[in-house]
Amino acid sequence: MLTKDRIVTLILFLPSLVLVGYFVYVTIGWNVVVSLSDWKGLTPSYNIVGFDQYTRLFQDPTFFTALKNNLVLILLFVPGSLFLGLFLAILLDLKVRGEGVFRGIYLLPFALSFVVTAVLWAWMYNPSIGVINTLLMKTGLGFLKSGWITDPNVGLYCVVLAIIWQFSGYTMLIFLAGIRSIPESQMMAAEVDGASGFDLYRLVVIPQLKAPALSAFVVLMVFALKAFDFIFVLTDYSDYTYILPLMMFRETFSMNRFSYGAAIATILFLLALVIVVPYLYLSFRREKE
Amino acid sequence: MRFPKPRRVTLYILLVFFAFLFLLPLWTCITTSFKPVHDVIYTTPVELPLSPTAEPLITALNIMQRPLLNSFTFTISAMILSCLLGSINGYILTKIRFRGSDTVFLFFSIGIFIPYQAVLVPLVLTMSKLGLFNHIEGLILTHTAYGIPITTLLFRNFYGVIPNSLIMAAKTDGAGTWTIYRRIVLPLSLLPFVVAAVFQFTSIWNDFLFGVALARGSEAQPASVALANLRGTTEFQWNVQMAGTLWYALPVLVIFFVLGKYLMRGYMAGAVKG
Repeated sequence: MLTKDRIVTLILFLPSLVLVGYFVYVTIGWNVVVSLSDWKGLTPSYNIVGFDQYTRLFQDPTFFTALKNNLVLILLFVPGSLFLGLFLAILLDLKVRGEGVFRGIYLLPFALSFVVTAVLWAWMYNPSIGVINTLLMKTGLGFLKSGWITDPNVGLYCVVLAIIWQFSGYTMLIFLAGIRSIPESQMMAAEVDGASGFDLYRLVVIPQLKAPALSAFVVLMVFALKAFDFIFVLTDYSDYTYILPLMMFRETFSMNRFSYGAAIATILFLLALVIVVPYLYLSFRREKE
Repeated sequence: MRFPKPRRVTLYILLVFFAFLFLLPLWTCITTSFKPVHDVIYTTPVELPLSPTAEPLITALNIMQRPLLNSFTFTISAMILSCLLGSINGYILTKIRFRGSDTVFLFFSIGIFIPYQAVLVPLVLTMSKLGLFNHIEGLILTHTAYGIPITTLLFRNFYGVIPNSLIMAAKTDGAGTWTIYRRIVLPLSLLPFVVAAVFQFTSIWNDFLFGVALARGSEAQPASVALANLRGTTEFQWNVQMAGTLWYALPVLVIFFVLGKYLMRGYMAGAVKG
């Protein structure tokens, strides 16, 4: 029954419903439609040509370069951030004096914009007067000098290192909260049983961190798929750090191949969905129980 | 748990070592911002300037002034709007509820995780059609819309713990949806509003993708885009680049130091970024 109160509720809810409905769902659908068209150049064309863009994509060597780089990025960055974050969380859990200060320092990079961190790391990696090479020279380790981000052989790893630096404070925070939610009595019982030091963490704590590990995993995976700002500002469109989001942006906004860019965007969306939907489904079921 | 003494020393060495690694990029940014060109070349980046100068900071501010102002305008507007809408949604989804409200929430939640590349082409078209391309209003609309999913989640988590009996009591007294929100829920909302506002401010302020796609001209250019451009135009003037970085990062750094604990709550409630 449409009471006055229901109408009020509807009016309050309507703006969000319209905004999310349009900006999330209509635009995603529209993007799929564009990816099925032959739109090139600045005037939109909705001449539907089916899966042509996708067929072209699967014959485009740069697509596979981008996909490969994306995979390497995910395989190094996600476990890297999880392990470093877990390690830092365990260190901080050992009744550290000044825990809050250390926690703040480790988390700080995560609060910064990717544009900020990109400029900072460009300066760190700069081959001539940058931070890393200068410090290596001063400490007699000059033989380790490298072109870092400008070197095609290590450039991608430099990107991975920098984003691990930015995200491991976040994983630390998530793991630390997980560790702190384990009842003290369990830890004491394990200690009485003779477990100590890192054994205590390996046997008692870490097995109970599945839930925080999963949510951190999802956030890291999705980020690794769509990472754009950082690499775009740091390396532009260099081959060796070319990943799918960069390819999407370049094809769309530099080359004006809108339908081609939209096809890449659709693939990115589907990949994200594969990660996110099972996760959301699981957390909803857990919430209901 | 406590380790024996020698191991505690190792522990602190490790902690300090990591603290050094985490702070190094930011530290060299600050030192370099105060260095004249001569010092940039003749001192290591970790050293303090020999003859400190505010010159790079002034140069960078001159370039970044307008973009910083733009960023403040759209960030604060979209922050306020997305928080208000998120609060109302959180209230409706936990305390009013309707058939399918869980499904609606699921669809909102997906909005938190989508790669924005998937909406970028239609978004640019929409903004052009509305005449909001290269306009602050376009960025306000965009950031408000894409902020709703996360603010809804944040407020929903908080409102979940308001006892239903409180709402029921008001209902039996004849209070309607809006009255209950304004009289009961809103006064209890200071904490979630701070958490959501801090979270939204930093994520909107830090955005680059929407900015670079929707506001390439100078009228609405965000500070993030201006900084990326500064990197291109001052390639060898590291001190000016670092000074620009410092200006752009400053509001977020202030929030981090003053309201960090609220930001952490936001991150833990379903943090996403990028």
